[in-house]
Amino acid sequence: MNSVSPGGFTTKRRSRGGMSRNAGSDVRAAYLFIAPAVIGFLVFVGYPLIRSFYLALTKYNGLTDPVFVGLGNFRRLFTTDPAFWPALRATGYLVLLYVPLSLILGLALAMFCNQRFAGVRIVRTLAYLPVVLPAVATITLWKFMLDPQVGLLNTILDRLGLPTSLWLQSSSTSMPSVVLVMLWGVGGTMIIFLAALQAVPTELYEAARVDGAGPWSVFFRITMPMISPIMLLQVILQTTAALQTFNQPKILTNGGPGFSTKVLMLSIYENGFPTLGRIPQLGYASAQVWVLFVIIIAVIALTAKFSSLWTYSDSTSD
Amino acid sequence: MTALQTEAALPDTVQAVPPAKKKPRVIGTTAWYVVALFICAVMVVPLLWMITIGLKSRTAVFDIPPKLLPHEWTWSNFINGPKAIHFPKLLLNSFVITGLSVIGGVLTAMMAGYALARLRFPGRKTWFYLFVGSMLLPGVVGLIPLFQMYKSIGWYDTWLPLIVPAFLGGNPLFIFLARQYFLAIPYSIDEAAKIDGAGHLRIFVSVMLPLTRPAWLTMAILAFQASWNDYLNPLVYLYSSGKWPLSVGMASFISPFAGKTPDWSYYMATNLLYMLPPLIIFFAAQRYFIQGLGALGSTNQK
Repeated sequence: MNSVSPGGFTTKRRSRGGMSRNAGSDVRAAYLFIAPAVIGFLVFVGYPLIRSFYLALTKYNGLTDPVFVGLGNFRRLFTTDPAFWPALRATGYLVLLYVPLSLILGLALAMFCNQRFAGVRIVRTLAYLPVVLPAVATITLWKFMLDPQVGLLNTILDRLGLPTSLWLQSSSTSMPSVVLVMLWGVGGTMIIFLAALQAVPTELYEAARVDGAGPWSVFFRITMPMISPIMLLQVILQTTAALQTFNQPKILTNGGPGFSTKVLMLSIYENGFPTLGRIPQLGYASAQVWVLFVIIIAVIALTAKFSSLWTYSDSTSD
Repeated sequence: MTALQTEAALPDTVQAVPPAKKKPRVIGTTAWYVVALFICAVMVVPLLWMITIGLKSRTAVFDIPPKLLPHEWTWSNFINGPKAIHFPKLLLNSFVITGLSVIGGVLTAMMAGYALARLRFPGRKTWFYLFVGSMLLPGVVGLIPLFQMYKSIGWYDTWLPLIVPAFLGGNPLFIFLARQYFLAIPYSIDEAAKIDGAGHLRIFVSVMLPLTRPAWLTMAILAFQASWNDYLNPLVYLYSSGKWPLSVGMASFISPFAGKTPDWSYYMATNLLYMLPPLIIFFAAQRYFIQGLGALGSTNQK
């Protein structure tokens, strides 16, 4: 999409023609049209951002006024809290496992579905189907699928004579199992790659074929460079989403066994919104939120900074 | 189109033709279909299995070794399961919450997109970048301050926190999509309407909304999906089980209460009903799903 809109051009021409009355009504109308979104931005983005930073520096139970404690929450997080480092490790494990697999499988699936075979649309539709279904519905379904005794996965493995697994119930396989459930929704990654693949000009492939390029060099010299901007977008989107994973560990394992799947989001939830009878630690949870937030910003910044090393930009399109 | 695709651009009948002529391609075709079958199985078998559990009796679910098909088909699960969690009540809750947030989210995003794409005003660029930037802001940052804010204005344990933000341009992705779509519409159309004496409201309602139908249908579908599937927000903001939407109700269905094992056959039967509305919308409006996310893929390419 072109950011230099033909509209800007027209308006300029019009105002040069001296019709300032229209320009004034444009501004008034614009403010009216954009007002809800602006109010929403200030109330639901701006205010909470500032407020949560302040709360991170306080001790706050939600009932009495917050008490300023400076960096006390962060000190407690990094030095004395026995649950913080495991949460960070679990989150990192999840991201490192999920993001590469999701990108590789998503791209492979997109390339697979970008071919002209009878029935390819059915495959595409079915691959996207799990993304459409409610998260709670699919996650609970998978919780039962992964049941070691009566679940479908072990039943199938058993019948095929393959070794079965404890899946979610052992601390060594619980996180890979959570990631497995997340990967069932890889159709979401696929669909964005598919759009990117379809935007690659056919002539490039034809030229490569004429030159006798093999499939691997076509992939690495044409497909990958051409879709690299989308790859960048996907890396950022997937990583930030994966860092905030909540539903899967909450429903599948509630963090267990042990601390094996207690990701940062789950820990934040438990501190901020504890079960009845325990006192909410909203200041402490806000400090955790800010740790997560800083990690997310760092990931985005680093990915963007090093993107020029591996993304291809067509200088003529600027 | 990929090289593979051009290679495979033989008539679809190629599988029926004896494999003598172009052997490697036919092997490619066979391999493709084997993989395709595998992918389809991975996506569909869990859902079919869910249905068979929904049809099993409450004890047959725990048979060891498990049977793939039910012995006796317990259709009554589809009546008793939903009854056990007051399904009609929760369904109505979900429909009201989702319906209102779809209307609000789409309408206000379209309005903002219209202003950002087609009207000149000071701060136009700034607001565009602020909205786009807020797409990257993790939702969790707002969770605690907003929870406290809602509590202090008496919105805790009401549907308002789930609905009102939508009416205030709740989803920046929608604003972005709306703006991109509005940019692509020729400006001569507004000029013509203005000459006819139409104000911005008239142009927006009777010219722009019909022209941008694919865009707002896409957004409506995505908004429906987001609200229907949302679990964290209702979990945090709603305390009384009578106000829950289906997502929270379904999740509480299987969390073991005081040592009672969850009733999986009831659950799976109800789960199927919970999945039905998004499923129906998906199959009825598939191309809008693909289009919406495709738009994200292609608009960012430049």
